[in-house]
Amino acid sequence: MAVAQDQLDATFTALADPTRRAIVARLAQGDATVNELAAPFDLTLPGISKHLKVLERCGLISRTRRAQFRPCHLEAGALDPAAAWIDDHRRIWAERFDKLDAHLHEIQRAPDDGPGPASAAGPAPANERIRQ
Amino acid sequence: MSDTTAGPAELVFTRVFEAPRELVFQCMTQPEHLTHFWGPAGTSAPVGHITVDARPGGPFETVMINDADGSRYPTRAVFDEVVEPERLVWTESHSGMTVTVTFTDLGARTGVEIRQVRVPDAFRSPEAQAGFLTSLDRFARYLAALTARAGGPGTEPPR
Repeated sequence: MAVAQDQLDATFTALADPTRRAIVARLAQGDATVNELAAPFDLTLPGISKHLKVLERCGLISRTRRAQFRPCHLEAGALDPAAAWIDDHRRIWAERFDKLDAHLHEIQRAPDDGPGPASAAGPAPANERIRQ
Repeated sequence: MSDTTAGPAELVFTRVFEAPRELVFQCMTQPEHLTHFWGPAGTSAPVGHITVDARPGGPFETVMINDADGSRYPTRAVFDEVVEPERLVWTESHSGMTVTVTFTDLGARTGVEIRQVRVPDAFRSPEAQAGFLTSLDRFARYLAALTARAGGPGTEPPR
C-alpha cells in the first residue's frame, strides 16, 4: 500500500473517461498516431490531443519524438499501481471475512459442543469479552 | 462462497455467512466482535483501540497491528449512514474512501456486500460520482485483462 495516493487518483481519474479508456484499449494493441487514434471518434484533433495530454501527464502513455507523427505508446506498467490497489483491498476483505466466518461459528456453537462461552441465555453472546 | 468484482476505483465483495442478520450486523459494529476479524491475516486489531459509535457522524476508528514487527495502521472513519440491521456506510478520513456494507437477510444465513469506492476529489459531486461509477463498471473486466497481459515483454494485442 506504498503507492502514492495522488498517482492513484490521477490514474483513476484518467481512466474514468470513456474516450480515454478507448484510447488506452487501442494502444494496448500497439502504438498509434494521433490521427489513427482520432479516426474512430467524432472528435477533432485538438479534442483528442487534450485526452492524450491527460493520459501522458499521469504516465499512462508516452509519445516518441521521432518523426512528425509522434506515435503514442501505452506505458502498461503505469496501470500496475491501480491493479495493486485493487488486489490489496480485495485481499484485506477476503481475510477479514475468513476470520469473521470463523468467529461467527465460534460464538454460535451449541452449548454441548464444547466449553464455549455460549450459555442458556442465548446462542450469541454479543458482549463476549476478549483479552487484548 | 465469495465473489469479487473490481473496477479501477470500486470494489464489490460479497460473502454469505451462516448466521442471522442481526448477529452479523452486531459483529460489524461492536468492538468485542470486530477485534476477532478486523485485522487481515498477520495483523490483530486490539479491542482497546476500536471505537465505534454507529450513528451518522459517529466515529469508526481502529488500529491494525502487524503481528511480526508491531507496525501500527490506524484508520479513522466517520459513519455516513446506519440502518440497523441492513446497511452501514462510512467514509475514511485519510483516504476519502467510502465503504457501504449491505446485509441481506437469507433466513438462517446473511449475505454481506462490501462496496468500496475510491472517489478522487474531482468526482465528489453526486452527479459526477454517478457517471464515474457507471463508466468504471464497464471498464472493470478490461483493466484486469489488460494488466495481466501488459506484464510480458512482447505486448500482444488483447483479443
